Formats: sequence, C-alpha cells, structure tokens
Amino acid sequence: MSWMNIELVLLIVLPAVIAVIMAFSSSFKQRTRNILAVTGAGIELCLVFSLFLLNFEAVKSSEFFLQFTTGYSNTPFVINFAMDNLSLLFSLIVTAAVFLIVIFSTQYIRDKESRYFALFFLVLASIQGSILTADLFTLYLFIEAITVFTTPLISFKKTEKTTRAALQYFFYGITGGVFFFISIILIYFNLGTLKMAAVADSFALISTPMQLTIIIFFLLALLIKLGIFPIHFWLPRAHSACPAPISALLSGVLLKVYLYIFMRLFWTMIAFDFLVELHLSAFVLDLALVSSLIGHVFALQADELKKMLAYSSIGHIGMILAVLMLNTEAAFYGGLLHIIAHMMMKSGLFLSSGYLLRTTLSHHIDDLKGIGHKNRLVFIAFIIICLGTIGMPPLIGFVSKWFVLLAFLEARHYFGAFVVGAGSIIALIYYLRYISQAYETVKTENKTLREELVSLKVFFKSTNIMKNVIYLFTLLIIIFGLSYQFFEMPINTAIFELLNPQKYIELVLGG
Amino acid sequence: MEIPTETQPEVESLNKLMKKTLVSVVLAGVALALYRSFALMPGYQGLNLGLSNYIIESGLKDTGSLNLITAVLYDYRAFDSLGESTVIFGAVSGIVLILSRKMLPVSSKGLSFIVKRTLGIMTPFIALFGLYIMSHGHLTPGGGFQGGVILAAISIIFSIVYGSAFDYRRYSPQTKTALETGGALTFLGLGLAGILMEGAFLQNLGFLTAETGTLISAGSIPYINIGVGFKVGAGLAIIFYSMIQKTFEEDF
Repeated sequence: MSWMNIELVLLIVLPAVIAVIMAFSSSFKQRTRNILAVTGAGIELCLVFSLFLLNFEAVKSSEFFLQFTTGYSNTPFVINFAMDNLSLLFSLIVTAAVFLIVIFSTQYIRDKESRYFALFFLVLASIQGSILTADLFTLYLFIEAITVFTTPLISFKKTEKTTRAALQYFFYGITGGVFFFISIILIYFNLGTLKMAAVADSFALISTPMQLTIIIFFLLALLIKLGIFPIHFWLPRAHSACPAPISALLSGVLLKVYLYIFMRLFWTMIAFDFLVELHLSAFVLDLALVSSLIGHVFALQADELKKMLAYSSIGHIGMILAVLMLNTEAAFYGGLLHIIAHMMMKSGLFLSSGYLLRTTLSHHIDDLKGIGHKNRLVFIAFIIICLGTIGMPPLIGFVSKWFVLLAFLEARHYFGAFVVGAGSIIALIYYLRYISQAYETVKTENKTLREELVSLKVFFKSTNIMKNVIYLFTLLIIIFGLSYQFFEMPINTAIFELLNPQKYIELVLGG
Repeated sequence: MEIPTETQPEVESLNKLMKKTLVSVVLAGVALALYRSFALMPGYQGLNLGLSNYIIESGLKDTGSLNLITAVLYDYRAFDSLGESTVIFGAVSGIVLILSRKMLPVSSKGLSFIVKRTLGIMTPFIALFGLYIMSHGHLTPGGGFQGGVILAAISIIFSIVYGSAFDYRRYSPQTKTALETGGALTFLGLGLAGILMEGAFLQNLGFLTAETGTLISAGSIPYINIGVGFKVGAGLAIIFYSMIQKTFEEDF
C-alpha cells in the first residue's frame, strides 16, 4: 500500500502496455513504430537505472530492498513484488541488453513488425515479472508466459525447419513448466502458502522424502529450461532457427533469467544446505560440467554458424551453473561476472552473425567463404567478440573465466578447472574454423578500412544502426575487460544476498 | 533369401514387444516412485483452512462482489488474471504471426435456409446472454472469460452457417483487433487508475462501489470483467479465423 515502490509494477506493466499498442500498430508508419519501440525500451532502462542511482548508498551498503504488495496487505494470499540487490543486478543487465537488441531489430526485421514487437515486449514484461516477483504462482505464470511468447518468435520465418524447432522448444518448455507446477502443488499442499519467503521460513518442516521430490521436480524443470546435458538437444535447434535478434534474446538474455530463477529458488527459497544434505549438489555440479564439455565438443562438429554459437552457449551455461554449485564466495563472483560477460558476448555474436548472414546463401560453413572480405569491420568485431568468449586477456571473457578458474582451484575441484581450460581450447578451434573459412577467397573489393570508417559518418542509416550496435557490444567487451572493477560493487552486494537469504525472508514477511 | 522374408516380421514384432515391455516397466517404476512420495502428502483436511474461511468471511466485505470466485480472480489475485489474459493476448499474436495467410476460403453458401433463419432469430439472444454473463460476473456465476467465449461462439457459428465470407465482411479482422486491444487497455487502464486513486496497482476503485447486489457495485470488478470479455471473445474469434485460412497450395 505504499506509494514508494510502485515502480516495481510499472516495470512489468510498461512493456505490456507498449506491447498492446504495438499489436495494433500495423497501420502506423515504420518510423513511428521504431521510435515507439526504442523509447519504450529506453524508458524501461532509465527506470531500472534510476532505481540503481537513486538508491546508490543503500545498494553500496547492501541494504537495498524495495517491495510492493498488491491488494489487501492483511490477507494471507496477496501478491508480492520484491527487489533486492540480486534482482536489481539482473534487472539492470537484462534491460540493457534488451534495449540494444530492440535497436538492432528495428532495422533487422522487415515484415510483420507489429506482431514481432508486440511479442518481443511481452517477453520483456514477463522477464521483468519473473525477476521481480516474490510469489511462486506468479513466477510460474511468467515462466510459462516466456515460453508461450517466444515460440512464435522462433518460427518467425515460416519454414519446415523453424516450425519443427519451435514445436520442439514449446514441447520441452511446457514439460519443464509442468514439472515446475507439480513442485508448486506439492509445496502448497504441505505448507499452505506460495509466498517464497514463507516457504523458505518453514521448508524444514516438510518430511525429507517430500523435500526430495519437490527439489527434484524443481531441478528437472530448470535443467530442461537451461538446456543441461541429457535434455539439451532442443536448444541448438531453437536458438539457431529464429531471426538473429531473437537468438540473441534467447541465448544471451533468457538463459540468464533462468539462472537467476535457479539462484532465487535454491539459495533464497530452498536453502542450499538442503541440496547438499540430499547429495544433489555434487550430482548437479558434475552434470553441469559434463554438459559444458559436451556442448563445446558438439560445437566442433556443427556446420552452421548459428548452431555452433548455440552449442557454445550450452558449454558456457553449464560452466556457470557448475561454478555456482560450488557455493563459495569466489564461485559466486566468477559465476555472476561470467553471466554478465556471456550475456554481452553471446548477444554481440548472434547479432553480428545475423548481420553477416544477411547476404549469404545459407548458414552453412561452405557458404561463408569471403564474408570476412565483404564486411570487414563487422567481421573484425566478430573476431574480437570470439576472442572474448575464448578468453583473451584484455577482454571481459578473460576476466570472468579467470575468476571461474580460480574458484574451481580454490575449491580443489580439478575436473571443473580442466573443463574451463579445455572449453577454451576447443572454443579456439571451432571459432578458427569459421574465421579461416571467412577469409578463404581472395580479396575482391578495394574499399579500405579507412574508407569504411569514414562511411560511418552517416550514423543513422539503417544498415549503419545495425553495425553500430555490434560495434557498441564490441567496445563494451573491451572497455569492461579493462575495467571490470566497475562490476565489483554490484556483484558483491548480489553475493551478499545469496549468502544471507535471511534478509530477504525477514523483509518480505515483515513488510 | 527366404529366411529374412519369413523372420523379418517376427523379429520386428518381437522388437515391438520388447519396446512395449520396457516402456511399461519404466512407467510402472516411475508410477511406483511417484505413488511412494505422493502418499506422504497430507490429506485434504490438512490444507490451510484459514484461507477459505477468510475468503468466505470477508470476501464480500473487502470487494463487494457476491461471486467469491470473481472476487479472488479480479481483486485479490487480479495481477495473475492480468498475466493470464496477457498470455491469451500473446497467444493470439503468435498464432496470427505463424498462420497469417492472404487467402480466406470463400464459401458464401453456408447451410440451408431453415438453419439460417433460425439462427438469425437466435443470435441477438446469444449475444445478450454473453453480455449478461460478462457484466454480472460479480453477482452470478460466470465472468469475463466465460462471457467472452460465448461471444466468440457467435462469430464461429456465423461462419459455419452463413459461410465464412459473411462474417468476414461484417466484422473485419481490424475490428476484432481493435476490440481485443481495447479490452486489454481497459484492464491495464483500470490497473493504472488503481495506482493513481487508491495507491496500489489494480486496487479496487472505491468510488465505484455501491449497494451490494446491484449491477453497478463491487468497484472496478465489472469493468475488468467486460474488458476481459471483449478481449477473450475477439481473441478467440481471431484465432478461429487464422486457423481456417488457407494457402494457395492447399487444395480446396
């Protein structure tokens, strides 16, 4: 009932309103629609960023906490929204990435834009919702919403391949959702509440076999959604079938949102000690590491550029999940930093692959001959981002991988350390395969790099906007690689939340 | 040459049998494991009785809605309903995106004269019934979702009885999209009005409450119902039209 934290609901409602307007915008001029989309995402970003800046002192001392209750606050079944440092960090990086992807897609998508943007903003609304909510049922609702809204976006180009990929994605997404729902039902029948904080308070009261069932179903749901090894095969198909901005959204942003939900569930709601007690944490750790290795190995044999990138995503997500399961402060630091790094790198890679593949016959490696000569500057950006994912020193990929490696070594988990190193080396091989192919033919055009840079002067021409987004991602990767300390404060406060879930629980239940 | 032709079917059927047994064994194992852990679940009595008691006792007082289900759907947990109707909205967008084709199979013939005349007399009553269900959601069983489905049924019956061209001419997809968007904006607008006037998102608007049991009571619940009704009705009609459209390649 407080005026104070109304922003939390606005963060969810604003994209929904824009989506509704967008769905009706088929008669708008293209320019109007683009401006509307970019301002909408921009306002969202400004809102989150202002939350960060206005509460800077509170964030710094990790006391930051906003919450909002809809309806009658004295009833037992109100819907809560809560934002702590962890949510703030994720909300901020996700919105920033989505903002850049929106700018890219205003130029990239050339037909049926109104429906595209409607669904895109609905996805943004559900992402924000699933990050901010403090209620299990609302979380389930938003997770399902993400699946439902992204499926048509995957089959945006209507071909047999994309339809198959989308249906498979939908099937596995819904299956994961059903597992999630079973857990929610079990929790409700045992505890009679769906507030995450209340569940956290009394989870220990449930009998041990029941706890095991609940945790296993939650794990199954999230492992399916994250694309961890035994159930990973839908991911490369889905992530490579869709248009480039959607690939960037799925691979760069959505997987991180699921990682956030994983952390919310298994550190805040169900204390991590339960996982250790039930011997599940070691199992998930090994599974994630195997998944990481398999993802990298499969990327070696992928003959399509986007499929290769998707397999590499499996590798990175597995590594992040594994390092989080170590449950030490250093591990969280490495994991969160790599989440940020991977978000930037994978979004950049998918967007630049979308730009590069506009002119080629197909996505197959044989058709990529000479694209390095045709789009020189973009391809150089592509190479730089690739080096970032491999882990070259001045880039942010190196920093985050370094911390992940340190965390594994500190925990004396040598298999994990091996996977990090091996993954990098395998990644080097499969990226080099594509890079050498791109420079296969002899140079034909005589445009020099300098001329290409000069042609950038027309900054807002449609192709240049796409290029500029890619360059921006590249620059961010270089800049943050040099000054990764920038993230130190937000990440440390987020780690504080993970290590002290008691704060979240008390504040939600108390207020 | 003769041996494989004779044994092939046998081997295949044996393989099938093996597969079936294996699947049933695995399924039985999973069922047993699930039963073992679900048997531990406390019985229905163990549920939080305070919750239902609370709704029965103070649902009417809090919301002014006689239909307590509507009270939960559109007041206590209105945000979840907003989410659900947004999912419908997104599903409609997605289906239109996937199935949008240029051609509508033009069949202006429809069914026989008798059916056409009968339906012509009945249609206004069906529409009235749908609107009644929608607007009386806070008083009697029903609500926006149910009423919207009835309204969508009119559109579907039209295109079966009178032929799809008739309904297409009368209510073009643009009209339906406008209705759908209007319904969604009503819901969202009421939510934002709740922020401005009552200080919480989707809070029941106080100045709209009146004597319990009258049509215009229960704050913003009836208006949310109407908004949801139009949204669901138009959305389902749009889905129906997207699905009956054809491509050029398909034969008629």
